[in-house]
Amino acid sequence: MKRRTMLGAVAVGAMFAFAPGAHAQQVNLNVMTAGDQNMVDYITEYLGPMFEKANPGVKVRAVGTGPGDAGSQRIWERLEAQRKAGSASVDVDVAVVHQKMAGMMVKEGLLAKYRGEVSTGKMATNDVTKNALGINVDGYVIPMFNSQIAIAYNPDKVKTPPSSYDDLVAFAHANPKRFGHNGIRGGMSGVGFVFGWLYAYAPQPAKLIDGPYDDATVAALTPALQKMKAFNNDVTITPGNAGTLDALNRGEIDMGPVWMDMFYSWQADGKLSPNLKLTLLKTGLPGQPMYYVVPEKAANAAVARKFVELATSPQVQAKGIVERFNWLPGIDASYVQQYLDKKIWDKLFKDVPPDMLKAMGKPMPQSDYFTKIQEQYEKIVLN
Amino acid sequence: MGPNRNISILLTVPALLVVALLFIYPLGFSLVGAFQDKAGVWTLGNFGRAWELYRLDTAFTVVIVLVSCVLIALMSIAIGGYLTLGESPLAKSILGFLYRWPLFIPFIVAAQCMRTFIARNGMMNMTLVYFGILDLDQVQGFLDWRGIVFTFVWKQTPFVALMVAGAMAGLDRATIEAARNLGASRLRILVEIVVPQVSRTLAVGLVLSFVTMMSVLSVPLMLSGQSPSMLTVNMAWRINSVGDYGTANALGFVSYLMTGFAAWFYLRHGMREKAGQ
Repeated sequence: MKRRTMLGAVAVGAMFAFAPGAHAQQVNLNVMTAGDQNMVDYITEYLGPMFEKANPGVKVRAVGTGPGDAGSQRIWERLEAQRKAGSASVDVDVAVVHQKMAGMMVKEGLLAKYRGEVSTGKMATNDVTKNALGINVDGYVIPMFNSQIAIAYNPDKVKTPPSSYDDLVAFAHANPKRFGHNGIRGGMSGVGFVFGWLYAYAPQPAKLIDGPYDDATVAALTPALQKMKAFNNDVTITPGNAGTLDALNRGEIDMGPVWMDMFYSWQADGKLSPNLKLTLLKTGLPGQPMYYVVPEKAANAAVARKFVELATSPQVQAKGIVERFNWLPGIDASYVQQYLDKKIWDKLFKDVPPDMLKAMGKPMPQSDYFTKIQEQYEKIVLN
Repeated sequence: MGPNRNISILLTVPALLVVALLFIYPLGFSLVGAFQDKAGVWTLGNFGRAWELYRLDTAFTVVIVLVSCVLIALMSIAIGGYLTLGESPLAKSILGFLYRWPLFIPFIVAAQCMRTFIARNGMMNMTLVYFGILDLDQVQGFLDWRGIVFTFVWKQTPFVALMVAGAMAGLDRATIEAARNLGASRLRILVEIVVPQVSRTLAVGLVLSFVTMMSVLSVPLMLSGQSPSMLTVNMAWRINSVGDYGTANALGFVSYLMTGFAAWFYLRHGMREKAGQ
């Protein structure tokens, strides 16, 4: 009897706790993020609590949708489904998405033009703030961070770091299997390396980035891709972004393309030799941001804008994005520098100084070329 | 009989509904999708693209899975054979204890372990170098299709060996003893007397392994970034990176054909057994 009475009391208590009106001021801010688990952790453990503390009555709920474009696609599918259902508001307040889907969402009118309404909006000056794979996204996005692909090398084995793709070809020829990349099916560092190859050897590299798309430009890539097929005979193909770093660390290869942030994070965690260094190539290697976006029909749009404002403030960009993740800041680095220790700033730009990054860091190709190049690679290089 | 029969049919309804909703419906959906373009127009274009881009990988999927099946068969016969005919009780109990372990390890964990184990400077090669069996210059990595075969064999052998060893244990010992009395070697007894009697069980185990291996994504994805790879990797790639469900469905259709052939073999075997009874 006693036990039953206690259960009853708990049940009544629970009813009151969840009754409407008990937390009339409570706002649940739904943040949906593509990317790895670390993105969800960043919001749940760092950004969310900070925002909740500054805004009592707001609860930040982070949901991860998985890595890569597929993760961003899931966010698009959710927004699209709610639009098709004719919902007056959507249950995503802030989303973190990749470039391809951001462009598509802007084109389809799924996003709010909110950058002008956020005080940190004017601090985002990078090209990618306006252009996502050839689509004008000006006003709709603020980069959360920028990430850059670079060539990692072992200075004990590579005495003169390469400065061009020609140098890489010569190195691979002279040192078979000592250069490694992960091709196009094993993660973006390999995909970016292939795009960089075409920026070096395509007849019209600028058109690949700026568009417009036409089939003739794709057809003209064949000789460059055939050259890549020959190059691949001299290199090791690694299983994935992490596979390249693992192979470098185990000494199986001496050089390979990697994400800069992954490289520095692995070094900081002791998973990668501290001797390894980074460099860029003069015709450019691509990088990409992830964007904060606010859906057009977000249920809590005003709170969402406040959230992005905090997330893109120089302090958070310094402590959260640069210090925590070794990413390049989403807003202009000059706003961020004053909030960073000189040691951390120097570490971030030790091998790849800001001027090198500016000159040799390129955007990814325009979205149609992006897809077509991958398919041509499958057709010409893999078959 | 009448009401009982109705009740038993009624009892199967939830199970049938689950099968229909979670298997038949998606299966039909993806089969239809293989023959439609993005606008829903009937086409064979998806198969054209699948042929143009993935014919090599399709052939290699068959080769990888068949080579794995052959090696799994040999290994499980060896394990089952030793457990049945072996003479050292200690070796038998150690083998009996050890060989099942990989059964309890998920494919993705196996793949992650293999990444560091069979890499060029991985644990396997470095151990061989340490003991002076290999020279550092001679070592090579297996992070390609060979690594996939290696992992499949390691992971699926216990499953088939468990079935085969069970069947071998159930054999009439008189035939084995008779052969032994006539002076046949253990290998000859295994090949000529034991294996023919468990061949049906072995075939069933291999068919089930074939279907399992056809559906594994983690192992080829994590071990080999390059071509040739397996159809599951290509399907994941078409969906995740290109958003092209049509070609992915066409590749799925090709996989269905392969596993369908294996299923036909399995069912035919089952029917024969029933007819035999």
